[in-house]
Amino acid sequence: MGPREPHVRLGDADERRYGPAKRQLFERIRGRCLMLAAGTGNDFRLFPAGLRIVALDVSRAMLERARPRAAAYAGGLALLQMDARRLAFRDACFDTIVSVCTFCSVPDPVLGLRELHRVLKPEGRLLVFEHVRSRLGPLAMMQDLLTPLSRRFGPDLNRDTLGNLSRAGFRVVREENVYLDIVKAAEAVRG
Amino acid sequence: MIRDDRAFAVMEYAGGAITAAATAAAIHAVIDPHWDMVLAMVVGTAIGAAIHILAAVALGPFVGMFPAMASGSLIGMYGGMLFAMRDSMQDASWFQSLGVAVVFGVCVVAVVQLYDRALRGTSIVEGGSAGRP
Repeated sequence: MGPREPHVRLGDADERRYGPAKRQLFERIRGRCLMLAAGTGNDFRLFPAGLRIVALDVSRAMLERARPRAAAYAGGLALLQMDARRLAFRDACFDTIVSVCTFCSVPDPVLGLRELHRVLKPEGRLLVFEHVRSRLGPLAMMQDLLTPLSRRFGPDLNRDTLGNLSRAGFRVVREENVYLDIVKAAEAVRG
Repeated sequence: MIRDDRAFAVMEYAGGAITAAATAAAIHAVIDPHWDMVLAMVVGTAIGAAIHILAAVALGPFVGMFPAMASGSLIGMYGGMLFAMRDSMQDASWFQSLGVAVVFGVCVVAVVQLYDRALRGTSIVEGGSAGRP
């Protein structure tokens, strides 16, 4: 685990655990970048400085909370309200797309990923940081049992997001286990 | 200053011990040697599953949600089944019940941490070799 992340408090364990892995993933961003599900903008501080980023969220309230963090980013960061399944961008216009814990809760994730496939340039990269269903039997069973409960509050725990990448036409070229085989960082290209 | 990963490891062990002790205590309070063993194991698993959810919610902010859930689910469900089996067969004392539970919880966390270390790293690199950072 790397150095302590700034602006985190006791209780932000997930931020402290996964911040370094996210920062490492974001170092692979090149060119014009699209970020999905910006949320409150908590991950903006992990972006390398000087990038041109368009950050989306489906919720206007989340974007309002993200605005101060976007303003503090040392680069160009525009916020837009948009659904990941219906992107208002022309084909092949982004060099990099970043998705952090998005496709655990997007309804019809393959549809959303196909939309990313459409707006990503042919030589572009999709960087994902997601939690997925474990391949270890006891843990996978736990995830399957808890998903009906977790779905009431937000994410599914047992999505096969890397499999969905393939179903949407991407090819995974790099996959890293961040915690067990549940939390993963991956890089994909158009297949 | 203690590094984050060491602090998390210690908190995971503490969390595992607490989850196991809470599971064993609840099962010890409910199940006694008059119970049918199979029924006791089913009830123990259910009690453990419920307690692990509560424990994950309580411990998640301190150790991370997935680490709390991964260890907690194994401790709650499988530990719950074992603790209930023991309590249906044997008139164990509270000290024995909680002591064994703490040892079980710590052992499960140790196995999960070992597994995490074994799995951590890059598993696919196109045009290159896989390896650990």
